[in-house]
Amino acid sequence: MIELRAFMGLADLFRERNWPSPLEVDIQGEMTGAQLLAMLDIPPEKVEVVFVNGRAFTPPMAVLTGGDRVALVPPGVPGTYRVLLGFKKLD
Amino acid sequence: MGKFIRVDMTSKEVKIGECPEKYAGIAGRGLTSNFVADEVKPTCHPLGKNNKLIFAPGFLTGTSAANSGRLSCGAKSPLTGGIKESNTGGTFSQKMAKMGIKAIVFEGIPAEDKYFVVKVTMNGVTIDEAPAETVGMGNYDAIKVLQQKYGEKVGVAIIGPAGEMRLSAANISFADRESNLRSAGRGGLGAVMGSKKIKAVVIDDTGAPGVAIADPEAFKSAAKRFAKALTTHPVCQGLGRYGTNVLVNILNEAGGLPTENFRRGRNEWANNIGGETMTATMEARGGKPTHGCHAGCVIQCSQHYVDKKGKYITGGFEYETIWALGANAKINDLDIIAYADREFDEAGVDSIDCAVAVGLAMESGIIPWGDGKAALELIKEIRKGTPLGRILGCGAAAVGRMFGLSRVPVVKGQAIPAYDPRAVKGEGLTYATTAMGADHTAGYAVATNILKVGGFVDPLKKEGQVELSRNLQIATATIDSTGMCLFIAFAILDIPDGFNALVDMINAQYGLSLTGDDIAALGKSILKIERGFNQRAGFTNAADRLPEFFEEECPPHNVTWEFTGEEIDEVMNF
Repeated sequence: MIELRAFMGLADLFRERNWPSPLEVDIQGEMTGAQLLAMLDIPPEKVEVVFVNGRAFTPPMAVLTGGDRVALVPPGVPGTYRVLLGFKKLD
Repeated sequence: MGKFIRVDMTSKEVKIGECPEKYAGIAGRGLTSNFVADEVKPTCHPLGKNNKLIFAPGFLTGTSAANSGRLSCGAKSPLTGGIKESNTGGTFSQKMAKMGIKAIVFEGIPAEDKYFVVKVTMNGVTIDEAPAETVGMGNYDAIKVLQQKYGEKVGVAIIGPAGEMRLSAANISFADRESNLRSAGRGGLGAVMGSKKIKAVVIDDTGAPGVAIADPEAFKSAAKRFAKALTTHPVCQGLGRYGTNVLVNILNEAGGLPTENFRRGRNEWANNIGGETMTATMEARGGKPTHGCHAGCVIQCSQHYVDKKGKYITGGFEYETIWALGANAKINDLDIIAYADREFDEAGVDSIDCAVAVGLAMESGIIPWGDGKAALELIKEIRKGTPLGRILGCGAAAVGRMFGLSRVPVVKGQAIPAYDPRAVKGEGLTYATTAMGADHTAGYAVATNILKVGGFVDPLKKEGQVELSRNLQIATATIDSTGMCLFIAFAILDIPDGFNALVDMINAQYGLSLTGDDIAALGKSILKIERGFNQRAGFTNAADRLPEFFEEECPPHNVTWEFTGEEIDEVMNF
């Protein structure tokens, strides 16, 4: 099981689907954030970052296993925090 | 070139002249910091006759550029003892710019023990006696009195009872379009204004000529590109809908939401005080989740928070205030926090410093942890001027000193804001090194040509943080000179044409050919000037350090603050 939260517009999406937050999601073995989104039928463009145990990753880079605390963040977080918290890779 | 107004409160003389040549090419924070560094004796007492207070709009203020209506206020800070730029929304800045006023300086101290109102109109500047009823009055009512007397739509800059008492966390409040409040919050500039016995400055732009634009067509096209960069970016929707309070859940998840006086970075009730809950509450009660602090703002991060009956409690209800009371002081109740925010605004104090101070009041045992009602009663003492109220109104460092605490989260005497430095290390370096004292907005902006940090910055690790903090501070100093709200930078981070459009607007307005590198150079020079002032005021790099207790681990990541002094000093080594 993972404990899944969703923020900003994604919290609205959870509410529309009558999902509690946090939502407990049963996963088998390991999966990526992108796979989780596909499993939950959440459009990937709605999610900029997946937090796994307090660290931020892009959905394909996030790796989840049972017992993890996971959160979904859409685009639109005030920018400096996207850099300071490691959402946005700068090149 | 613009008018430069000097108001001497000792002689009551007003001089209105052309802006000095040396200030012609700077504005906003660039102007306030250069002026303070030039004319304020760095060793002066901040509440004495040698300190000067300056208001200056930015390069683009008063134009049709989106989000350009901010005002910079500068002086030597009674809180930090160093240079201060305090930035605000409201109507004041755009009125100044449209009247062709580049800066207003307030100097000297009157001999008389009474308060004055400085009135600025197209016919000149007068110094009136302040209406007696405004002295000691809460800010909301005082603004009403002044607008009844001077005109419904006049801009108002005002100190509350805290500024009258010259408390070191006193702010200067500014009326917005609905005659509610915005704040030049940090660093005690309200005390400086109070030391000069200026209760308020009112500005009436009737008959103002408006801002001259050298190349109106080029300006219009650049302004359109700029506005598009903002409105098409998701941050507009995020901030417009949830306010800055969107950050509660983000920082909580990241493990950087300081809780119980910076003991841990995550708590279980964060969602109850976060932006999503705040917006749902406002929508259910008929409040206004979306609101702009000045005309032309397209981000609209402000709001009108209302009670259960739909009545306005407070606006400009920010992440910092809600974090400090809700997470750091453990008050799990947005309504009480809203009343507290209102009370801070009525008293005219910095809602960051005084809210962190509330946490320290709990640390010292004056009131129980998480007791919102007790906290609100304590905050109400500020404007009553009780001894405890005065201590709280002087901010976190004062409470720490008066109650013998060692766990006092301040740098250069200013309270650390809502991001734990151990879990957001880049932010920690900015707190330590900015001349402003612990200030989250000092390293707030990104300009893509400046921000050339390669790779991925992990907030929990040291790598890359020095360059990041340095570049954010340079970009921020630049943006603070434009009159732009810093939040524009959130869109510019992803849409480089937004930054190009900003440079193009400045060029079109003034008939210049600045490049992005010129703009970056401006930011660097401002930082150097501010640092230079602080050095002459007696600061050494010993002031660029975080409190000792940040060596402790911060759950959930159990990270510590482990930068050496040499590493920290690298930030400003450019």
